[in-house]
Amino acid sequence: MRRWIWLSVVVAIAIAYPLLLSSPFQQRLGALVLLYAIAASAWNIVGGYAGQVSVGHVVFFGCGAYAAMGSYAKFGLSPLFGIPGGIVIAVGLAAIIGVPTLRLSGHYFSMATIAVAETMRLIVTNTDWLGAAVGLSGPTVPRNIFDLSFLSSLPYYYLFLVILAITLFVTWWMTNSRMGFYLRAIKDSERAARSLGAPASRTKLYAYMLSAAFTSVAGALYAMMFGFVDPESGLGILISVKILIMAALGGAGLLFGPLVGAAILVPLEEISNSWLGGKGAGLTFVLYGAIIVLIARFQPGGLLSLFTRRRKPSADPGASHAP
Amino acid sequence: MLLEARGITKAFGSFKAVDDASVTLEHSDILGLIGPNGAGKSTFFNCLTGDLKTTSGRVLFEGRDITDFAPELRAGLGLARTFQVPQTFEGMTVLENVMIGAFLRTAHRKEAETKARAVLERVGMSRLADAPARSLGTPGRKRLEIARALATEPKVLLLDEAMAGLNAHEVKLAIDLVRDIHRSGITLVIVEHIMEVIMSLASRVMVFHQGKEIARGSPREVTSNPAVIEAYLGKRAAKAAAGHTPVELMGGPDL
Repeated sequence: MRRWIWLSVVVAIAIAYPLLLSSPFQQRLGALVLLYAIAASAWNIVGGYAGQVSVGHVVFFGCGAYAAMGSYAKFGLSPLFGIPGGIVIAVGLAAIIGVPTLRLSGHYFSMATIAVAETMRLIVTNTDWLGAAVGLSGPTVPRNIFDLSFLSSLPYYYLFLVILAITLFVTWWMTNSRMGFYLRAIKDSERAARSLGAPASRTKLYAYMLSAAFTSVAGALYAMMFGFVDPESGLGILISVKILIMAALGGAGLLFGPLVGAAILVPLEEISNSWLGGKGAGLTFVLYGAIIVLIARFQPGGLLSLFTRRRKPSADPGASHAP
Repeated sequence: MLLEARGITKAFGSFKAVDDASVTLEHSDILGLIGPNGAGKSTFFNCLTGDLKTTSGRVLFEGRDITDFAPELRAGLGLARTFQVPQTFEGMTVLENVMIGAFLRTAHRKEAETKARAVLERVGMSRLADAPARSLGTPGRKRLEIARALATEPKVLLLDEAMAGLNAHEVKLAIDLVRDIHRSGITLVIVEHIMEVIMSLASRVMVFHQGKEIARGSPREVTSNPAVIEAYLGKRAAKAAAGHTPVELMGGPDL
């Protein structure tokens, strides 16, 4: 019951936010929070629940961004048509990357994903058809509403809100299914999970593909909002890092963790950028570094785990001596 | 024949941890694997469960060659195991731990939960169902391992030192549980250090020493086998022991 009250409060705030705080800066900020929340929630499926820390998730982000812009720049279609294409490419790529790399444990998986992401960035930077270093642009003047090119951030805000709701719903549904249970078990002890019949490799791969699909959508939405994509904004490793930190700060493996992380970090970055101007861009990443250290040291479960831990019933002391 | 291992050899480099070991398991057997530390019994055990790939030899389950089957496939066929060092899913409740096992036979959460609760009831842990698994002590974790394995509805249950780290009273309770499991028609393979456990449970015993099987037979037979005493106590002790009953020397059976 209390959960539903909390949920409706959060939803109400999310819907009312851009109407109450309606300056262009605030609306843009809100839209960006939601956008990063989508990406971080998508990462959370494989990074949080399955415990496979992918640092190359920007590859899938880039698939979506390039597919959306490509469908306009190459075929004159609405960027919207690029979304399904981006999902297909991202999921296919996830399968190709995942089969060999998900066997690797811990840091090795993370390093392999970084290598793949950087390789992709270099390939795209040197591919003329994808705009090379300049990138691809979307429609400069919207031809119709399906080009999803708006001056105001308000339509983007609500679009992102709907997509985020879908992402979170699918995640929630997954965590309550056998797959979600298996993922959590694999995260704790892959060996034990397999001994109980959990097909570890396959389950992780499915999670990776699902995560890739939503990350690709986030990339497509990002490119639509900004109207262009280049290797740095679509495939830069720092996007991966940002996504990861947001999920970790809020609480990896918790449904609303990534949203909380995004709601803290995006405003922090935007405000520090607007205060410090161009010179401050580097400072944001110093801040990220500091946050990584702080999370790792004081709250590895993320900020939200502060609350969940308190609510969980703990076994009475006698429990440990039970037969 | 339920489970059969033929000429299992497991080498790590040039060292043969298990050297040409064979065993057959009939329905409703309780097979005990014993031997001094480092004798190769755990390695052999892990070859049966699929946790280790054999260097040579075959493993058959109900006549089917499962040598190249992954552990999860073997679990699906009805081979369940526990771990010597409990591999508890720390982030879950006790109930959820058992549900992971139950999910092998059903994809539905409700069904898995119902079954997991029934298993917890059976092993006497239903009071702890909603407690975080990380709050359990060693005896609780050991029992949870068994509960999880039972939830997969195994035909054969392999217990890897399920009694290690328990006090005498807890060992007695655990033995009762294993007997109860056996009565329900599950065939058992137990690796055990505690002699009294083997003596009171096993119908057949296989003794390992330096990777090789040195004796097999009923618990009484193997404990009076000079080769076994020598493996445990050394040559001189074996000679000295010739006049005593070996079971006494090895600390059992008191039950």
